[in-house]
Amino acid sequence: MDITKKDVELAGKLAHMHISEEESSLYEEQLKALFNWVQELSAVNTDGVTLTQTDLAAFVRSDVPVENEALAQELRNDFAAQENACAKVKKVL
Amino acid sequence: MMTIVQILKAVSSGEQTAEQITRAALAKIAELNPTINAFVEVFEQDALAQAKAVDEKRSRGEKLGPLAGVPVAIKDNILYKGHKATCCSKMLANYVASYTSTVVEKLLAADAVIIGRTNMDEFAMGSSNQTSVYGPVKNPVDTERVPGGSSGGSAAAVAAGMVPLALGTDTGGSVRQPASFCGVVGVKPGYGRISRYGVIAFASSADQVGVLAANVQDAALGLEVLSGKDTHDSTSLDAPVPAYTQHFTPDLKGVKVGLPKGFLDGLYEDIKLRLDAAAEQLKKLGAEMVEVDVPLAKYSAPCYYIITSAEASSNLGRYDGIRYGYSAQEAPDLNAYYLQSRALFGLEVKKRLIIGTYALTSQRYEECFLKAMKVRELIRQDFKKVFENVDVLLTPTSPTTAFRLGKWGKNPLSLYLADLYTCPGNIGGLAGISVPYGKDKKGLPVGVQFYGPILQEEKILNAAYHLEKSL
Repeated sequence: MDITKKDVELAGKLAHMHISEEESSLYEEQLKALFNWVQELSAVNTDGVTLTQTDLAAFVRSDVPVENEALAQELRNDFAAQENACAKVKKVL
Repeated sequence: MMTIVQILKAVSSGEQTAEQITRAALAKIAELNPTINAFVEVFEQDALAQAKAVDEKRSRGEKLGPLAGVPVAIKDNILYKGHKATCCSKMLANYVASYTSTVVEKLLAADAVIIGRTNMDEFAMGSSNQTSVYGPVKNPVDTERVPGGSSGGSAAAVAAGMVPLALGTDTGGSVRQPASFCGVVGVKPGYGRISRYGVIAFASSADQVGVLAANVQDAALGLEVLSGKDTHDSTSLDAPVPAYTQHFTPDLKGVKVGLPKGFLDGLYEDIKLRLDAAAEQLKKLGAEMVEVDVPLAKYSAPCYYIITSAEASSNLGRYDGIRYGYSAQEAPDLNAYYLQSRALFGLEVKKRLIIGTYALTSQRYEECFLKAMKVRELIRQDFKKVFENVDVLLTPTSPTTAFRLGKWGKNPLSLYLADLYTCPGNIGGLAGISVPYGKDKKGLPVGVQFYGPILQEEKILNAAYHLEKSL
């Protein structure tokens, strides 16, 4: 599988990570080796294989709001500041 | 360090107090940790308070829990309210858990004493414990060598006699491989046996909490306390938890042990010698050895690296400086904010995130991710078929014994292949145990591994118990 520095940079961008020139060269080599190894999977015939589907609805709780002021306060206590019964977080930008 | 069985007897009889046992563990940690680096934090005051509470409970004549007074170490990716959980990463350097994981709740309910958090590969990504921000762990058997990983701190803590029981997590062998390198027992139960609630996620479809102990019986006692359905984890299985130690049989008569022959080609001589010796011993103990074919097992490792990296790229997306993780101090815009915040990941973590992200791009999704998922499905079917004919499988735990610190080639494949025999357990969701079975020519421990079907941990524990006893 042909992996280039451009691929590494694209993946870095999608993953919101800065990849330095040095890292890019290192990862390019390592990803080439890894993805060539992964190509061994192409020897396995997967025609007709369907992936097990999970019925998510069976695991998701009903969407009913629950009021629990004690728990809410406990959660707010994890934050350094609170205001109007809300947790106050620092300004990002 | 006393075994769990000895501690339980001593505490319940009053021969020793939980406080004495805890102080002995703390003294051992103080003596050895500067060399071994197994613990990244010791919860001395909390541990002593818990031990005293156990002693008070006993003096009031109350019933003690199944791990009363047993010092237990937890890996640094397991949450314990009010305590740091950093995944040994700069990214979470100041993270303090706001709730307690189910496994720690269960330990506390069992009257265990939580003694501290152990070193690990950053975000559990590694097989040598060399990617921790706290520095590498040294193998107590030979401090020039790695303890394995990613639960290297937990394995080393048990091997050095600091604690009789430690929790690890196993996504591709991270409990069993360090157990093998350090000469202790490591169990990864089948997927869903133990709750993952409060365990920092790496790859959710493969992560499992496991136990490390000095012997099989202790590991079984730990596993029994931790197993069971948890309403906080929808993937935990609703099935009764057996009293594992009650399932130890007098011998192995009637037990069928499979040897997956094609999967064992090209083994190093020392490892092969120990595996053959184990097979011979099992026969003497009454087991029937059967050659089996698991033709696709050899593809587990490449599947593992694609699937777990892809899942990690999603799971670790939360470390953006807003939801979790280090927050950039001065960034001109949102993109710069993300880039600066996420720059704190180490090299190995970054690489896995790049692998995972790349495997999920529209360009590579079908060829890489979807293909790996389909092969995984076939591997699972392979194992299901095999376990219709045998009770357990016998394999090496690792292709090598503990290697030297700093042996860290640029080609990642050599290190990735370290997980060759352990990955199938996570890809197939199987129960697996590594048990020490002798040493190589250099005197380093060699572990052999038993695999069993999901929800049949008692079978692998029983086989390992007999093999251990026969040494």
